[in-house]
Order: sequence, then C-alpha cells, then structure tokens
Amino acid sequence: MSVKGGKTGPEAATAESPLRKGPTDAVLRASIWKRIHSHRNLYFLFIPVFAYFVLFKYWPILLAWVVAFKDLQLGSGVFRSEWIGWQNFKDIFYSPDIPNVIRNTVEISLLRLAVGFLPPIILAILFHDMATRRLKKWLQTFVYIPHFFSWVIVYGVVFGFFSVGFGFVNNVLSGLGMERHEFLLDSAWFRPILIGSALWKEIGWSTIIYLAALATVDAQLYEAAVIDGAGPLKRMRHITIPSILSVVTFVLCLSLGSLLSAGGEQILLFYNDAVFQTADVIDTWVYREGLARLQFSLATAVGLFQSVIGLGLVIGSNFVAKRLSGRGIW
Amino acid sequence: MMYRSRSERTYQIVIHAIVLLVVASAVFPLLYVLGMSLTGPAEMMSRNYFVIIPHDPVWAAYERILSSPLIWRSFGISVFRSFVGPALMLMLTATGAYVLSVRTLPGRNFLLLLVVSTILFNAGLIPTYLVVKQLGLVNSLWSLIALYLVDSFGLLVIKIFIENLPDGLIEAAKMDGAGELQMLARVVIPLAAPALAAIGLFSIVFHWNSWFDAMVYLNNAHLFPMQLILKNMLASASSDAMESLILNGNAVTPESMKMATVVVGTLPILLVYPFLQKYFVQGVYVGAVKG
Repeated sequence: MSVKGGKTGPEAATAESPLRKGPTDAVLRASIWKRIHSHRNLYFLFIPVFAYFVLFKYWPILLAWVVAFKDLQLGSGVFRSEWIGWQNFKDIFYSPDIPNVIRNTVEISLLRLAVGFLPPIILAILFHDMATRRLKKWLQTFVYIPHFFSWVIVYGVVFGFFSVGFGFVNNVLSGLGMERHEFLLDSAWFRPILIGSALWKEIGWSTIIYLAALATVDAQLYEAAVIDGAGPLKRMRHITIPSILSVVTFVLCLSLGSLLSAGGEQILLFYNDAVFQTADVIDTWVYREGLARLQFSLATAVGLFQSVIGLGLVIGSNFVAKRLSGRGIW
Repeated sequence: MMYRSRSERTYQIVIHAIVLLVVASAVFPLLYVLGMSLTGPAEMMSRNYFVIIPHDPVWAAYERILSSPLIWRSFGISVFRSFVGPALMLMLTATGAYVLSVRTLPGRNFLLLLVVSTILFNAGLIPTYLVVKQLGLVNSLWSLIALYLVDSFGLLVIKIFIENLPDGLIEAAKMDGAGELQMLARVVIPLAAPALAAIGLFSIVFHWNSWFDAMVYLNNAHLFPMQLILKNMLASASSDAMESLILNGNAVTPESMKMATVVVGTLPILLVYPFLQKYFVQGVYVGAVKG
C-alpha cells in the first residue's frame, strides 16, 4: 500500500483501537446479571437521582390521580379520605367560574403569542443586519437586562409607570391637561399591560435563539448578493428570513404547546379584585381555591385536567413542529 | 461587506434608529423608577408630580429600606438558596447525566424515560404541596432546594455533552483504574464544565428570582427570600398615592419607598450581569436552555 492511501499512524490507532469497541462488545455478550453486577457502582451513584424523581415527581403524580377522585379534607389523610369518582370533575364543569377561567387562559395565551411572537424576530433580524459591531453589542447588552428581573420587579416597574398618583403615563396625561386614569384597576387595560410588560421583559432575550440560527448563515451568501446588486431588503427576504424560518416554525409550535399555562406567576402579581373577570386563569384559580380556600381535591382535579390537556398539546405541537421544521424537542 | 451605496446607508440609519428606540424603551422605565425613588415629597409637590430626574435627591427611602432587618435577613436567605440550591442541583444532575451516558448500562432506556417523562407531565401545584407537607418540609428552606434538586432538561443536555466527548477519554481513565466516583469528579465534571456552568448560572437566576414557591411552602416571614419580601412591600400601603402625600408631610412618600424597593431588588442582578452576560448568551448557544 502506498503511504498516501493508507491511514497515518494516530488515525489508524483510534479507528481500530481496542479501547473503543472491545469492552462494549464483551460486556454486551455477558449475561444480564453479570452486566448489572459489573455496573453496580453506577446504580449506587444513581440512587439519589432516582430518589428525587420518585419523591418529588412520581409520588405527586400518583397523588394527583388519587386526590382528584377523592374528597380530601384538611386533617383527613390522603388515603383515608373518601373516593367520590368523577364528582370533582362534574363540580368543575358545572361551576360558574371554571368556563370563564379556561376561556381567559386560552385568550391570554393566544394574545401573548399574537403580540409577543413577531417583535423578537424582527429585532433579531435588525441586530443581525446592523453594520456597527461595538454599538450593536452594547445595545444587545441593555435590551437583555429585563429578562433577568423577577416578575416582582417587573410589577414594581409597571406600578411606577401606570399608577395614578405618580406613574409616568399619568404624569404625561395630566401634563397634557387630561385626567389621571386608574390603569391598574381598569379591566380594559389589564391585558394590554400584562402582555406589554411581558414583551418588555422578554423581547431582547427572545432574539437569542434566532440570532444563534443567523450566526450559522454563511457570510459569503450576503457578499455574493451584494455583488449581484441585491439591496438590504432583498437580502433580508431571500437570505435572512429563509434561514430562520425553521426556527420560527419550531418556536411557534412550541408556544402552542403551552396554551393552558398563561403565565400564572405574573398574573398573580398583577391582578386585583377590579380586573378579576378578565384576569383569572387556571394557575391563579388553582392557587386560590387549593391553597387559600383548601379545596384540595377540586384544585387537584383542575390541575390534572390542565396537565393532561397540556401533555396532548405538547405531543401534538412537537409532531407538527417536526413535520414543518424538521426539529422537535425529541 | 460594502455599505457604500445610498440605499445601504439609509437602511443602516433606519435600523439603528429602530433598535435604539427599542433599547431606550427597555431602559427608560428603569431610569424613571430610579428617579422616583430619589424624589422627596417637597419636590413632588413643587414640580406638580412630574419628575424624571430629581434636582434634589432624597435618600431617605433607601435609608429606611436598608435599615430594615427583614430585608437583610431575606437577602441572606436568597443568597443561601441561590448558592446551595444550584450547587446541589449540579452535583445530582451531573451524576445522573454521567450514569445515563453509559451505553452499556442495563435498564438505561427505562431510566431515561423516567427522566424525560417528567419534562412532559407535571403533577400540578396541589399534589406537589401535599408531598412537601407529607415530607415535613413545609416551612423549611429545604423545600425550596429539594424541589429543584435535578434539572431534567439540563440532565439531558449534559448527557449528550458527555456522549459527545472524544472517544477513548473515559475508557482511558477506566483503564487507569479510576472508580466511577473518581471518573465523575476528575474526568467528566471538568470536561463538561461549560455545559454545567451554563446550567448552574440559569439555576442561580431562577433561585434568586423565585418568590411563588416561598409563598406556597413557607409561612414564617423570617424565612422569606428577598423577592417575596419585596413583593409584600410593594403590595402594602396601596392607599391612594396623592392622598397619602397630603396627609403626612414626612420625608418619605410611599411611592418613593416602593420605587426604592424595586431598585434594591434589581441592584444585585445589575451588579453581576455585566460580568456574566457573555456566559448566559453562550449557554443558549450550547443548548442549555429551552428556547
């Protein structure tokens, strides 16, 4: 064999190395008990992890399926309380507030998607196209900041902006000779403020997934397009947008998967008695009924309903995402 | 690239203008909050409630907040959970990832399914609360740590990271007679450090910003983390702003108290953010974070 055609020393060593395949094959051929025995140390290592999943993940799931079909009262244990079949679910669907709560949840989720989906994509494209290096980095740094704040802080900022007495918006209104308005107690303003502040928090950070996709686009494509006389908008249409389309589809499908979680943590901070009718969602209802009013079984049943539908949505949206964009979470 | 033509320059000007506008609206509310936190009642009145930059900053609100022992205590508790929580989580998550990266392990697929399923299906608030109660962890800080001891998604990311390490690295260490624990500590963890660091950073931010779990599982205010204390401070004194201004002419308005509360809450994040921003962004690129 010529030296040229043959493999060079180190490459040949790794490709045919006994270290790589030998032990694996030998272990695979051994009997199952021998294999388990030879891996015993790994099982020992896994015990704490296994214990975590059993205690904090699977035990609660088991409880969910039990408690949802029981009438659990404070003081009576989970396994001593009475089985009542589907009664909790019947109560839920005949209750006056649940249909409204489910409608609010879906509406708020869809609104979040409609308002919050496109702006980060546009912003990512603009960042990508900016010819200034330093300035761009600085601007990105600033626009990411709100993502790292808690919802408590975001609520504080919203309060500072919209409160009657000193909020910036009201100060501008009164400066223009208009009357001050209780934005935070107005049910017509609840959703715009909720969704607007979420957009404020996440618009910058949400650009990252698109920028990561854009970073892989070959710069020569743009250079060739410039030479061919394509202007900035043409390049955006024919190079930039097509190269993020699959990520866009992927993100869109995934957001549809979380249709039944409308951001309960944020709403819990933002809502009040005045805006209840438009603000109450599944998460906030479960928290109130379950923990404040101790309706354990009813709240568990609603939570279970939410999880089961949520699972279906995630599986469905992942399937669609894979079909449309070629990527999924699994 | 060439940006000589006029249309290219116009485009650059337009996109810079739009992005500057977006960034300004991200930053302006924070500056307004800062300004309000430093505005005293006298200046509020004299300038007809419209102050963006106070001419005569009053630090009384900060003095009051920072002299509250509850705030300092809650700060300590937040620091505790933001370090102990992620540290233990990383240990368990890395261990799990290493074990599940061993292809020859009997039952590996079953254990993987056990982990992945929990990403897709969760029990809900009430059953989790009941379990925490059964375990006697209600009103214990450990509840806030125990609940997040393994990051299932992070485990999968690290597992893939370990599987993609150059062939032979792990086998070579095994040939040298390293036990599993030594392997983990001396080979796997150092090599997977970038992925671990990214997951750990996001976990720190998560723990630092959490307040809802503390509200659910704790009822002793002495154990509350900082965000929950801030939340309670923001919610209290919700009386009409102008009224309270006129009623008590003391140096601190409830508004500037609230805004100072917000500033105090953002400060720790703003102090470390500039140094860590790079790693957060890299974390997303590594795939350590759900999109």
